[in-house]
Amino acid sequence: MNAIEVHDVSKRFRLYKDRPGSVKQLFTKFGRPKYDDFWAVRNVSLDINEASVAGLIGHNGCGKSTLLRMMAGIHFPTSGTVATRGRISALLELGAGFHPELTGRENVYLNASILGLSRKQTDAIFDRIVDFSGLSAFIDSPVKHYSSGMYVRLGFSVAVHVDPQILLVDEVIAVGDEDFQRRCLDHLAGLKASGVTIVLVSHNLGVIGDLCDQVTWMDHGVVRDSGEPSSVIANYLHEVNSVEAERLRLEAEAAGLLPTPAKATESEMVDDSGTPVEFAVTGQPINLRVALPEALAAEEHTYSLMIQTESGVVVGETEMSSPMAQPGPLADGYTIRCRFDPLLLAPGIYEGRVRVHGGKTVRAEAIRDFGFAFRVRAESSPPGGLLRLPATWLEDNGR
Amino acid sequence: MKSVSELWAYRNLTYNLAQRELRSRYKKSLLGWLWSLLNPASVLAVYTLVFGYFFNNQAPTAGNGSTSVFALYLFAGLWVWNLFNGTVLGAIAALQSSGPLLNKVYFPPACPALANTITVLLQALIEAGILLFIMILLGNVGWMLVLFPLLILCITLFSVGVGLALSVYNVFYRDVNYLVTIGMNVLFYATPIIYPIALVQSKSMTLARIMELNPIAQYVQWSRDIFYGLTMPSAFSLIVVPLASFAVFVLGLVIFNRKSRDIAQEL
Repeated sequence: MNAIEVHDVSKRFRLYKDRPGSVKQLFTKFGRPKYDDFWAVRNVSLDINEASVAGLIGHNGCGKSTLLRMMAGIHFPTSGTVATRGRISALLELGAGFHPELTGRENVYLNASILGLSRKQTDAIFDRIVDFSGLSAFIDSPVKHYSSGMYVRLGFSVAVHVDPQILLVDEVIAVGDEDFQRRCLDHLAGLKASGVTIVLVSHNLGVIGDLCDQVTWMDHGVVRDSGEPSSVIANYLHEVNSVEAERLRLEAEAAGLLPTPAKATESEMVDDSGTPVEFAVTGQPINLRVALPEALAAEEHTYSLMIQTESGVVVGETEMSSPMAQPGPLADGYTIRCRFDPLLLAPGIYEGRVRVHGGKTVRAEAIRDFGFAFRVRAESSPPGGLLRLPATWLEDNGR
Repeated sequence: MKSVSELWAYRNLTYNLAQRELRSRYKKSLLGWLWSLLNPASVLAVYTLVFGYFFNNQAPTAGNGSTSVFALYLFAGLWVWNLFNGTVLGAIAALQSSGPLLNKVYFPPACPALANTITVLLQALIEAGILLFIMILLGNVGWMLVLFPLLILCITLFSVGVGLALSVYNVFYRDVNYLVTIGMNVLFYATPIIYPIALVQSKSMTLARIMELNPIAQYVQWSRDIFYGLTMPSAFSLIVVPLASFAVFVLGLVIFNRKSRDIAQEL
């Protein structure tokens, strides 16, 4: 059974260049009013199962929020139909409808009624709302004395306790402190378990990947991809990554930094076929290629590479166990390559420090030290922390 | 029909919005609820002084055959006007000011206007109650007072219909608000409230006929009949006024529902 059925929906907004804001203008500007049609959502069809969690992702202005508002009934589709089953609670802005002069208690009742609850129903959940918000000490003071965080907590608390059958959440969890955010996510997971249909709009792909059963990726008002969260997120990230790679390339070109092949770069990343790439991808092989900035005169050379985050936290080190095959002095621009397969670094910007040792092992004296920056991106939901830990899971039950 | 059942489902919201309005209205004021009496009292005092004393308008003799107080005659019409005026202007303001909320959460957009109507209605009941109290003191009451609930229902339906229709047009063209303000001013003087209709009849019978087509004049006449003159409204008026009031209400609701679909993005 579908809780939400979006069938071939389009939404047009009219962007008036010079809107006839008065009756007079309506007559003086006879003929067609001057406006541009802007299709925020175009021919979108989407079915969301009862008791499932659906995620909407996409760049800013791609139509996710407009689609969500049409599901909530705030906007009416220009064409197509949106059918929903059950009470809808929309978290588009927390604490919308709070009146500053009224107390927290009065506002809870007011807000619950905006979401369609009767007084009796509100009585029944009032204590849980206050408990969850953690504001029992302030519930009888006017909300104008609340901090913005308190405001939001009370608003969220009301919205999730009104026993919705469908909950629409638009990037509102990002407000509130860490502790409250976690409680929100826990609560959403609890609602999901109890059979509430949830539609989440978020830029936090980690949250989307964790909570959702299906993900829809929207791009300029149309659905680009929809289905299994991990694959949709991967496709989305791939697109974002290639857009960024293109941007970095254009920026480099504009700054006149586009490399001439042989030696001007001190470092670059190449894939296994030798093609330079703009960033490495977590979980996939990558080669870091470094050109020596100057000639080195020692007879034997050993290298080590230390990787640290932008903020200076050392992630790890790798070193050669035996010297390079090529003995003798090295010329300026001589390149060495360090291959990771797979690269386990989480997405981010890192600094690599290559150290050249003048001897058979890395215990020999360091004769040259230089650094370079590189980027890592994810193509699936990224691991937390700095590393994806290589591990195997086994079940030992029954042994 | 669907919209009516939806409004019913959201009746608690309408009630709570009205409560919010009432609770916050007189917070931080010393006299509080007394203001809701002082305001009409001051208007009544000024009108009585200017039109009753300076202009020497005479009230007809009341139903008990002895009383003839211009202030009461005036008040019997004024509370009707206040109800109409407050409902219409309030509906326009209520929809306009609930724009931010309508953009965040769905509820029937007529709710704020209806909530405002409740607060105005409450005020009207207080005013009518005071009028009735004085009339009882003067011994000027009759059985036709049973028509009072019907009267107040008719005015409310009529005013809500007009208010809803105007409020939704005001969202698209803000001129409506200004036009209505002017229109209300004209309508107030076109309605025999501060003067008896007999005054117009003595000048021109035709003009008086035209003025009687004004629906507010009908309500004022009803109110004066049942509170002051202690007579029954004419049979014709007894049939036409409730039907017309209901028709205006339905029409207003239809217009509102048709135009309010895309209202959130316009507010």
